Amino acid sequence: MNFDYTLQTLDGIKQLHLQGRLDSATSMALEKTINTLFESNQERALIDFSGLSYISSAGLRLILVAAKRARQCGGKLILCNLAPTVREVFEISGFLKIMETADSQEAAIALLQAA
Amino acid sequence: MSTTAVESDGKRLLLDYVMPSQVRMVESLAEIVEGAIGDRPDLAFSTTICLEELITNTIAHGLGNAPDHSIRVRILRSQEGLEISIKDDAPAFDPFHDAPLPDLDGDIENRTVGGLGLHIVRTLMDEAWASYDGTGNLITLKKNFR
Repeated sequence: MNFDYTLQTLDGIKQLHLQGRLDSATSMALEKTINTLFESNQERALIDFSGLSYISSAGLRLILVAAKRARQCGGKLILCNLAPTVREVFEISGFLKIMETADSQEAAIALLQAA
Repeated sequence: MSTTAVESDGKRLLLDYVMPSQVRMVESLAEIVEGAIGDRPDLAFSTTICLEELITNTIAHGLGNAPDHSIRVRILRSQEGLEISIKDDAPAFDPFHDAPLPDLDGDIENRTVGGLGLHIVRTLMDEAWASYDGTGNLITLKKNFR
């Protein structure tokens, strides 16, 4: 399956790195991890899209779930390194109006540390 | 599958592919589409995402997730752009007519992804419509070259 991810916690910030294609066939593989991303109050996390070449509405649904959970637990979620085509899908979907993005992982971490 | 170029009405056949009605097949379809429109990665991306949204919609809502149907995908290229068609053997079903309009302006708590797939299709394509011919539904998409 052409999708993979890694999750690590550094200095209290969860970092989820996505690789490959997040589509109807592969999004199931990420669902459980997305659901555990914001388990405790005021959790801070970034999702790094630098390795992601493709996302469809099935993948967008998971990102929306993460954003909702972040809001519910008083936490913060930053999306970073969106490729132009992936960013276009986020823009069409109206997600850029309700989610915070950064151009690099360093910028995302800086925003989360300031939160 | 045949990818032989055929001239018809000034149109070139880039892809004629029959796939089973299974969501897991969208990934191999994406690779095939990227191979057929390899010279325009931007168009390949738009075509792939629209095909995925419409085919998964057809499988879930038109075919009730039955895995043993066939879906035929054709891509034609003309001077003006791409013409993409999806033919199924499901009962009459118009995804564009029945789709809920997504709420693009709500805040995070109130947002859902319902209708988002078809909204993506309508935004990325210049024309999109569906018809029923007695044997199945034919969805046609047009994407003009800019």
